[in-house]
Amino acid sequence: MDFDTSVKLNIYEMIARTTRMPALIDIALGLGSSMADVEQAFQRLYEKRLLVLEPGTTSRIRMAPPFSGIETQHRVKIEDKVYFANCAWDAFGIATALKRDADIESTCPDCGEPLAFQIREGKPLPQECVVHFAVPAARWWKDIIYT
Amino acid sequence: MLFFRSEEHVDQWCKVNGVTKRPLVSLDQLWQLAVTWYGNRLTVESRRPGPDEMVKIFSEIGLEGPFWDPKSDQWASTS
Repeated sequence: MDFDTSVKLNIYEMIARTTRMPALIDIALGLGSSMADVEQAFQRLYEKRLLVLEPGTTSRIRMAPPFSGIETQHRVKIEDKVYFANCAWDAFGIATALKRDADIESTCPDCGEPLAFQIREGKPLPQECVVHFAVPAARWWKDIIYT
Repeated sequence: MLFFRSEEHVDQWCKVNGVTKRPLVSLDQLWQLAVTWYGNRLTVESRRPGPDEMVKIFSEIGLEGPFWDPKSDQWASTS
């Protein structure tokens, strides 16, 4: 396994276990690598669109899709853990990545009313709801945090 | 990519916020996207689909046209 893949898997393993986005030093310690090497791997993973760094930084992870490094309106509860997703797609993505039943809470941005979704045995239970994609695919990575 | 209670709520939100209304996606379509994109994200083999793969994935669940084409230049001047 190459170094970047090891870094990526280490990030995801830590998020899955703790629900929190790991710091650069956590990854370096976990892999027994230098912080400089891990920082360079972060940049390469960003260029492959597998990681999003906090704007203006080279070492703080904002997104390891589908997981968010900050609290958002999309909460995904799996067993006794609560994860935050970057968007509607990623909320479902956390359930598929972890392959578990999930209870998802979000909010309708128009009326502010809560929305709840249940993922059971590999699929969402029926729910009255639609998802709006505001940004065309060709522009998703122009501003992935807004997207 | 946001959940809305209904299409009427999308219309109202777009009007209030000056956002152009774009395609709506059903929960079933969203689930298929999530499975395809993230189903193996925690594995060694995981990688993000390339542009042509993305078009194929979208098309297979009924999402077609330039909005779903990551190589489309139709949106170059939009914000």
